[in-house]
Amino acid sequence: MELLPEGQQNQVEVLFSDQQKINEFSKLIQRKDKLTSILEKQNQEKEYLDDVSMEIELLDEDELVNYKISSAFVKLRQEEVVERLEKDTQLVETEIEALQDKLSTIESRLSELKTDLYTKFGKNINLER
Amino acid sequence: MEELLNSKVKNPRGIPQAPFVEKVDEYVKTSDDFDKVMQLFQERLQQYKYMEQSKINAQAQFMKKIPEIEESLRMVRFLKEKNESQESIDTNYELNETLYTTATIEPTDKVMLWLGADIMLEYPIDEAEELLVEKLSTAKTNLEISEEDAEFLRENITTMEVNTARLYNWDVERRKKERLAEEGAKNLRI
Repeated sequence: MELLPEGQQNQVEVLFSDQQKINEFSKLIQRKDKLTSILEKQNQEKEYLDDVSMEIELLDEDELVNYKISSAFVKLRQEEVVERLEKDTQLVETEIEALQDKLSTIESRLSELKTDLYTKFGKNINLER
Repeated sequence: MEELLNSKVKNPRGIPQAPFVEKVDEYVKTSDDFDKVMQLFQERLQQYKYMEQSKINAQAQFMKKIPEIEESLRMVRFLKEKNESQESIDTNYELNETLYTTATIEPTDKVMLWLGADIMLEYPIDEAEELLVEKLSTAKTNLEISEEDAEFLRENITTMEVNTARLYNWDVERRKKERLAEEGAKNLRI
């Protein structure tokens, strides 16, 4: 953090509307972090599902597979597991899309706020990490 | 001065919004005022922080609970499907941590739900599904509410911190002026 030079006053006055913008900015940044970490987890999950979907193709259709539901494994025929995995993948994909949508909305609002705040405060404000 | 903190603006849960002090001079005239306002601000800031923490804890609880309900729901739906097709299923289930054993589940139209407080209750499978769906949506709504509250509180904490900084700067300015005036008076030769 830099201090203002001796005797120099900060000339730009912060109005309530500016404060609200700053608050919104910090709120959105936090929300973005949270959603990003959820998105990462879902992407990871999607990767796992893709991997397992590949592997399972190597098994015979009639072979029994341990499929995990909650904390139990149920023995299902390979065929059925493939079907279930497809459904699971779809669910994760929908989730990922929803998250990406939310994130891009936040992103565009953030850059709006950034422009506003930088226009008003110039070098007196720092909105980068 | 107390009315400064009695904002009419509240969020849906009745948490009052922090006031925004644009000009300190409008609220503070003397150094007594300053102490009083400073104390009020500190108190309010503490209250916001305390509430924020409790909302964050609530969020963590819901975040833990929601996946649990979702998992139960998956199992209930699975059992329902298997009952409809009248298949029995072999399963490896967790008997204890790291210990699994095998069981066969005959088609069933009843499940037991753990209700907490050491109570388990038997439900027809459809009713169990309904109950879990309802619990899930309540948990999700509550999570959203506590997230909203935490964000609202965060905003108000920021506002209050800015207010405090302003107030503090105002006092620094005032002291400086006083000192200058004193020195001026000392050096004055009559």
